[in-house]
Amino acid sequence: MSERDERLSRAASAALHATDGSDTAEPEAVEQSTVDGVNEFSETAAQLGLATTPVQPPASLRDELMARIALTPQLPAIDDGEAATGASAAPAVDAVTAASPTLRLPAAEPAADTAADAPDAPAASSARADSTVVEEPGPAERRAAARWRRPVGVLLAVAAASALFFGGLAIGTLSDSTPPSNPSQAEELAAIAAAPDSQRAVAEVAGGGTATLVWSGELGRSALLADGLAPLPADQTYQLWYIGEEGPVSAGTFEVSGKGTTWHVLEGEMSAGDTVGVTVEPSGGSDAPTSDPIVAIAS
Amino acid sequence: MLSAVSENPVAQSSAGNAELAAVLERVAAGDQLAFGELYDLTSARIFGLVRRLLVDHAQSEEVTQEVFLEIWQTAPRFDATRGAAMSWMMTMAHRRAVDRIRASQAGRDRDQRIGRRDLTVEYDDVAETVEITIEHERVARAMTRLTELQREAVSLAYYGGLSHSELAHHLDVPLGTVKTRLRDGMIRLRDELGVSA
Repeated sequence: MSERDERLSRAASAALHATDGSDTAEPEAVEQSTVDGVNEFSETAAQLGLATTPVQPPASLRDELMARIALTPQLPAIDDGEAATGASAAPAVDAVTAASPTLRLPAAEPAADTAADAPDAPAASSARADSTVVEEPGPAERRAAARWRRPVGVLLAVAAASALFFGGLAIGTLSDSTPPSNPSQAEELAAIAAAPDSQRAVAEVAGGGTATLVWSGELGRSALLADGLAPLPADQTYQLWYIGEEGPVSAGTFEVSGKGTTWHVLEGEMSAGDTVGVTVEPSGGSDAPTSDPIVAIAS
Repeated sequence: MLSAVSENPVAQSSAGNAELAAVLERVAAGDQLAFGELYDLTSARIFGLVRRLLVDHAQSEEVTQEVFLEIWQTAPRFDATRGAAMSWMMTMAHRRAVDRIRASQAGRDRDQRIGRRDLTVEYDDVAETVEITIEHERVARAMTRLTELQREAVSLAYYGGLSHSELAHHLDVPLGTVKTRLRDGMIRLRDELGVSA
């Protein structure tokens, strides 16, 4: 085979993804098959794809994705010749995905241990310079705790970096999450996460799991994402609260089914400085909290 | 529910490359509502291709989700001077579907899959719109210009997700022959379809 035939052969196989082993196993060989970084058969292969019959995916897939992307950072643009063919962009994404299991918090540490450390818990070092995570909301959280009707013993450490959240939750548990049934909630979450002043904070939940609050002061809205919360018996429900100067105000209830991720856009308006708390209440919810919060996150 | 596109097939099929590229540019800037638009314009194409390769509905949904997350993450790196937006996305979808096949399918499943399915272009599918019919027939016609052996190798590779060694085994020919058939088949296809790259 001539050198040109060899290159064309590699290009054809790369475009068809027919090379044995993973696509990225031999990046040099793939690179050598291109002309100025472009595989001359990739457009042809895409035409084969476009000849297949389109099939509408289930509507739930869109809702799920809108929520996912609201919480998933984009890769920075790059200027040099590395840019995006599907193949060359893959390693960076896969690295994030692959790293996620090791980035996750240990599932459920005994509440007493973490509670003792809570105010001083060091923030996990963030791998992302552009992180908007707000760490250690200690003083505000303590203020909120003081406003609670009962002494709060188990406010937990708020110490997690966005890398941990994005890696562990947003990408790691794609398939077993439970999106809300109302599709517009996904749009609302997207709007909150996309607001110019959007912020987020992560906290551990007493009894296991993590909770992430995403909020926008401008919109006066927030959403809570819970990962790994235990399902409750039928006569109980999780209830959300905005805790401000006036004390706790209900922001709706939510259920958790099975293991995985749930998220919920809070009802009502968020005021600056509000803390968001979650309690376990009798089914149907309560007018005022009847138990200690299992998690409280200061905004 | 899974069904062939009917609600808005024209948008799905005829979204011009310029329109898609413009939406993708907004996605690249972090515009989440634009991502919703992009999804609406392309999801049936992506899902259709992934399901063609994987057959299994649940896995196809998972992979489609992976593809769109990757589109979101890598949109800032899309370079319109290197190819069409739709092709960029279809390439990603095909690669992820093939990766899933390689990762999850045991050899026996694969043989059954090949035995059971028609791996050529779906001539008998009723295309839902004129637009799709045209694209479909253009490719189908181009495929007829390949030799039967080339068509078989290209179809098994693209629509069946078979690798070189699997093709060699399935067709009972040496690896070099497989590579040559794929190469010559793709050259002929490219020329017949008149695509630039």
